[in-house]
Parts: sequence; C-alpha cells; structure tokens
Amino acid sequence: MIKTDVIIIGGGATGCGIARDLALRGIPHCLIEKGDFAAGATGACHGLLHSGGRYVVTDPIAAKECYDENLILRMIGEKCVEQTGGLFVRLPGDSKRFRELFLRGCEDVGIPTEVISSTKALDLVPNLNPELEEAIKVPDCSIDPFRLCMLNIRTSQLRDGIIFTRHKVTEIVQSHGRCIGIKATDQATGEIREIRGNIIVNATGAWANMIASLAGCEVPMTLSKGSLVITNHRLTNMVINRLRPPSDGDIIVPNEAVCLAGTTSLAVENPDKIGIESTEVDTIISEAGRMIPHFNHTRIIRAFSGVRPLLKSKKMDAHEISRGFQIIDHGNGMYSIAGGKLTTFRLMAEKMVDAIMASFKLKRACETAEIPLDGQEELSGYPLSKRLTDMKDIVCECELVSRKEVERIINQTGTRNVGDIQHRTRLGMGPCQGGFCTFRALGIMNDMSVISPEQSMDMLRGFLQRRFRGIRYALWGDQLREEQLVEYIYLGILAMEKPQ
Amino acid sequence: MSVTEYDVIILGAGVAGLTAGAFLAGRGFKVALVTSGEPTACLSTGCIDVCSRNNNPLAGIKALPAEHPFHLVPEKTIRESLDNFQAVMTYMGIPYTGAAEENRLVLSALGTFKTSCLVPSTMKAVPQDTKDSIHIITFAGLKDFYPSYILSRRKNAKFSVYDAGVSSTMGIASHFEEKEFLESFIDWLKGQNIVEDKIAFPAVLGLESADEIVQTIAAHIGKPVFEIPTIPPSMPGRRLFNALKDYFRKKGGDIYWEWPVIGVEKSGKIIEAVMTASTGRPNSINGKAFILATGSFVGGGLTAGRDSITENIFNLPVHSPGPRETWFENDYFSFNHGIGRAGIKVDSSLRPAESPWENIFVCGGILADTEILKNGCGHGLALATAHMAAQSCMEHIR
Repeated sequence: MIKTDVIIIGGGATGCGIARDLALRGIPHCLIEKGDFAAGATGACHGLLHSGGRYVVTDPIAAKECYDENLILRMIGEKCVEQTGGLFVRLPGDSKRFRELFLRGCEDVGIPTEVISSTKALDLVPNLNPELEEAIKVPDCSIDPFRLCMLNIRTSQLRDGIIFTRHKVTEIVQSHGRCIGIKATDQATGEIREIRGNIIVNATGAWANMIASLAGCEVPMTLSKGSLVITNHRLTNMVINRLRPPSDGDIIVPNEAVCLAGTTSLAVENPDKIGIESTEVDTIISEAGRMIPHFNHTRIIRAFSGVRPLLKSKKMDAHEISRGFQIIDHGNGMYSIAGGKLTTFRLMAEKMVDAIMASFKLKRACETAEIPLDGQEELSGYPLSKRLTDMKDIVCECELVSRKEVERIINQTGTRNVGDIQHRTRLGMGPCQGGFCTFRALGIMNDMSVISPEQSMDMLRGFLQRRFRGIRYALWGDQLREEQLVEYIYLGILAMEKPQ
Repeated sequence: MSVTEYDVIILGAGVAGLTAGAFLAGRGFKVALVTSGEPTACLSTGCIDVCSRNNNPLAGIKALPAEHPFHLVPEKTIRESLDNFQAVMTYMGIPYTGAAEENRLVLSALGTFKTSCLVPSTMKAVPQDTKDSIHIITFAGLKDFYPSYILSRRKNAKFSVYDAGVSSTMGIASHFEEKEFLESFIDWLKGQNIVEDKIAFPAVLGLESADEIVQTIAAHIGKPVFEIPTIPPSMPGRRLFNALKDYFRKKGGDIYWEWPVIGVEKSGKIIEAVMTASTGRPNSINGKAFILATGSFVGGGLTAGRDSITENIFNLPVHSPGPRETWFENDYFSFNHGIGRAGIKVDSSLRPAESPWENIFVCGGILADTEILKNGCGHGLALATAHMAAQSCMEHIR
C-alpha cells in the first residue's frame, strides 16, 4: 500500500497542473490516470492557447483569466507554446455590431488588439478568404496539450511525485464518512493497487460525476461534445477565428505540420460513448472553408471529438455556458474541480492547491506562474534537424520517427502500450495514421520482449479498430485511398482476419 | 499536338491492363498502354487470388452473389486466362504453382494463412498445415518483417537474423542477385545447423531470379525453402508486374509510362482518342477501342468525393453503395464495407452499362460489386475479365 498526502485522479492538464503545483509547494502526492496523459478533453481540443478574445463578449471573466494565463504560459512554457498570433476575421454578412462589442470587450479586459485591413490580413495569411472585410489581430497561440501535460508531470517526477498511468480508479476507500484512499486497477496486468492519502482531488473532467459518485457525492455537469477535424497540411501560420458570436466551426489552429478546425457542440450523456456524425464533419469543413477556402479541398486525415466538462447551467446552448471553473469541497476529504479550459489549467491548479494548503493549515505561496516548466529541453519534441540525421532507420515515414527513438521511449517509460509511443514521438500521426508504422512499433516492442507475441497481435487488432473510429468520418478523396490500401495490407496481404 | 494511331488503347498498367494488352498485341493488333505510373500490382503479394470463399475457386465463383462480375465470364474463359497466365509466367522465368480447382495456402507475415490459387513458385514449399516446423531467416534492420508475429501463432518455429549490410527490401533483394553475396549467405546458413523441417524467408530473395535463388539455397541446405510476402514494397508483386510488362512489350505493345490522361475526344457513341499530359505538349492518342483497367480507388481509377464517386478517365456512371454514411461499417474487420461494391456496372460484353459509349470495355478492380477482400478474388478477376474484355474488343474492331 502506498501512503501519500494528496491523491489526484485524472492526468489531463488540470491533474498534471495540480501535481506540479503540489510538487513546487513540497506536498507529497500521487496521480492516477486511467489512460495516458491528456487522454480526455485535454488531448481532444484545438490546442488553442486563447487570447481570451473568443469570450470577451459572452463571458468577460473567463476572457480575463484566459488572457492572464496566456501571458504566463508564453513565459513559463516557451517550448510547448507556438506564438502564432491570431486573427478574428469578419466575412461579408458578419455583424458589424458584434465587431464593436468585441473591440470594446477586449479593451475592457485588457487584451491588445489591432484592426487590420483585408489586404494586410492576406499578407499575413495568404490562404484567407480574399473576400474578408477586415481582421482583428489578437495574441492567440498554439499549444501542444500532450507536451504540456508531460512538462507539468516532469516537475512532479523530479520531486518524488508518484505517477500511475493506465490505472483505473475502481473504488474510493472510506472510513467514518471520510475518503482515505483509492483502489486502482492496472489496465495491463489487472493488478489492484491501494493508495492512501489525506485528500483526494477529483480532476477527471467529463468523468467527474462518475468518480464523485464512488464516494457518494455528486458533481452536477453538462457534458458537451465538440468535434474537430485535422488537415494534412498547415494551411495557416496564425490562429484564425470567425468574428461572430461563438458558433460551430469558427476556429482554425495550426499545430506542427497540420491544422485543427472545429468545433461543434452537442449535449451528450456518457463521455465514454461519443461518436461523430458526417454532418458535423461537413459543417466544420464548410465553416472553416468560409475562412480558408482551401479547407473545402484539402485532405482531412482524421476527425475526433472530446467532451467539455461544463458546469451545469440553465442555458440551453453549450456555446453560451460559462467556461469558468469551480472547486467543490465535498466535505469528506474529497474535492472535485470541474469546468474551466485548457488555457486556464494552471490557474485552476493554483486555486485547488490553495484550498488544499488551507485545509492542511500550511502556508506556502504558489510559484507555478514564475518558474519555467521543467524538462523543456529534452521534451521539446524531436526537431526535424535531429530526425533527418537519424534517417537510416525510419519506422514512421510520415513523421520521421526512427527505430532508435521508439526504443528510447520504450526503455524510458517501460510502456507496454503502443499508444504511449505514439503520443511521445508523433509516430502514426501523419497521413497514414499509423497504418504502416504501428505494425513496426509493435514488432519492435516484441523484439525488445516488453510484450509477448500474443499481446502484440491483440494490440494491433485494438489499434486498428481505434484508428478506424478516428478516420472513418474523414474517408473520402486521398484519405479513403490510403485507407483502402491499409485495409488491403492487413486483411489481404497479412490475412489478419477471415471473412465470416 | 502530336497524334498517334492505334487499334486499341489500354488504360492502366496493372494485371488486367497488361494481360488484355498482351492478348491483343499477340493477335496482331496495334496496342498502346497508357498509364500514370506504377500499378497496385507492385504492392500486392504477387499471388493470384481467384476466389478464396471455397477450397475450389471455381465452385466458389459459382456461389458468389448474382451481381458479381465473375458471372459475366464463362468458366472456359476463366480457365483459359489462368492457364495462359501460368504459361506466360513460366516463359518469363517467374513460374507459378497451383490449379484452378484448388486453393493453396500462403504463410503471411503475421503467421496466418492467406488463401490463394496460383502462387509464385517461391511460395510452393509453404507448409499447408501447422505440423511442419519452420525456421525463419530475417535480416538485420528490415523494418517490415518481424518473426515474432509468426511465432505468436506457430509454436514450432524459430528464427535467425542475418546482417545483409543493407536493410531495405529492395536493397537485400538486389544483393541476392549477386553470386558472391549468395555464396557467403549460404555458408552462413549452413553454419546455423537448422533442424526445422523448412526454411522461411521474407520475400527478398532476388529481384528477378527468385525461383533460381530459392532452388539454389534449398539444394545447398537440403531443406525446402519458401518466401513470405511482406507489406509494400513487395518483391513478388514487383516481379509479377515486371514480367507482365516485359511480356506485353515482347508482343509488340507500346507503353506510355507516366502519361496521365487529361482529356477524351469523342464523337457520337464513339471515343476517338485520349489526350495525355507529358513533358512538352499534350499528346492525343487515337484508338478504335479502349480498355479501361485503371483499378479502383488505390489504383486511381475511381475517386471518392465528399458526396459522390467519380470515374476518372471517361466520367462513366459509377455504381455507388449510397451516401457517404453507407461506405463504411463501424467494425473495421467486417469485410462488408459498402465501398467494396463501388465501381462500373457493365453489360455482358463488359461495356459500361447506362452509358452511350460503344467502344469502351472495362476489366479488373474498377468493376462494380467485386468485394475483392471479402471474396479473395483480386488478380484472378483481373485475368479473367481482361481476357473477356480483350475478346469483346476484338469482336468490336472486326
């Protein structure tokens, strides 16, 4: 049995941020995540570090929080933030009144803006719709959510934090009405681990109510599904927003070699059962295509959705529900932290840890806003220049990942899950979506004896099914062609399954 | 613009196009083959799947759904096309094993058995059950072959690793064409003192002389040797393509390589010419008849848009399973994805149905209702429909 002070459930941005904050304030802690880091909404979002502009009209408080955190993250997280800048573009027919509200809102909150002509906007982003009326420049940035989680966790690891990924919490241990620990199942081995702590933090996003209910508590939430698409190309170097009230398909964010566009907003009941509809994909493409016409013809490599853990509200349209967050003290040693945004994760963690410190009657100020994230040098991705020097043993041609890099991650993390390699190296993130390289990565894991041959077959099967769920809504054009080839490889050449 | 005159113009350089082309060129017609580049045959295992749904492929064909294009080809023609293929490949030095009445098993790189009909002789010694023990030889750094996948299914298998100095499929295959390399490899192999019944290799045993190399190794070690097809790039697929292409040329056919078709000239119910892009000026290639063998989506014959599917050369009507939602099932491994039925519907002489053109004949993977993966009928259907299309084309010209 492991004993610690604070148990954090959830390895999204919030959970990882809390772990870092606790580490910097010297509080022993243990983080449990049922999948890999950023497996929920954190990893299923745009990767937009908001300037706050998106919320100035509907939610000025959230907008102010976003802008403050935007400034902080740019400073402490240089290596996971790309300072792209952003544009709010006004297209023919878009309300001029909203433009006035937007500018006034930005001024009130303190977000710097610059109104630029359509000519100037086209100079900055040549792929923009040439018919745009004007654009407003804001300090939006692109952020890598997975890397952000890893960098936060690094601080915890350096200061003796205990981390378990791929462990699912199945029980909250209680005694005399207080939560004193958790039981978690190792997803790979089925082994059950018991961890005891004084405080339990439920930072599980869309799953918050499920976890709270294990302790007989409740977290009233509205779950809103948002879908996004990824293009095979980077069509813009700046974040592009539509200058209108928040709506479907109004944001495009560049990230590494691709662009993400979204989102939609549909109420859902169960965060484990979310699908995508063709109509959502069509909506996103045609709306994004209004801002950048190439969207209508470019290759879409994947569509995916995440669930926004929004606090319950009477407002019917999820676009209008506050993006603010809330800390709930269940009064039994468990806290839930819900709502919020990726951009404000650090602030959420700070407030959460402030509450924990108060309950421990300890005084130590938060330092997460001043100290740069640990491990940025080694975790700052895998630069192209480095990848090219390793060209000889490339396992993933789309993202130029070498065998050496795959072996390094396996050795470093001891992982038995091919998804962990994909998250840490970008293996399988390119146009073939792992169709070729996952067969190889599993072969390498096998060669290194971290998994058995039988496990590698099961994982390959599981991977192909999961992969298909992501790409099936983006199957036309070249992506359909690629998919037909991959299907031919596994079902034809490799005779992986037989028809019934 | 330059103009060239032919009797028949074949569109597509896969198994179907090259077979139809050689058939016609061998009968004295002036044939041009126009292709935008390498066919999907190069990505294939090189095996001729005829119908894997029954141990007897011909019986399997009879049981296919009524709309399957195999039913348009008389059994006699199917047999002839397979016999002819075996004769051609023997003549070209890439002999094939098998017969139309009985399927064979090929060991896959995952250790499963793939069902096929005619297979390259380098796969002749594949054990047809799990009894024989096998010893797998793999090569250092070869990234598309992992013996452990096979070991997961065959308890009586072992493996050894040879360092060929190169790690790519093509690189190792070209080394095997060198006498010295082969000799030192055989010396090494002898030193392995293999006790298993048979020796298996990923399919890298030579570019063109694989049959001879397999026999040489087998003779020196005294054990049967066979190849396991790998994921692309696939040497057996490339050998198949090269042999068919060289045979077509030997018969007098012209190949316009990497000349994508950019337009069509037509008059009334007749296609008169295809316009092709090439460096310099566009070319117009005139023909009396046209054989469409451009393949399905991977081959580039069909393109799926967001709302509809189009045929890329003549804009023929495409039979589509329905709107986009119907193209794929949720279960990846279902084998019933609607997209497998997309293609060109044809009449009994393989002319496109519901289309005015009298001198287009369609064969191979672009045909509708093939469901190639489910029925295991890829190259076999290509051979049979190519013969049929070539015959219809001959009748049309006469």
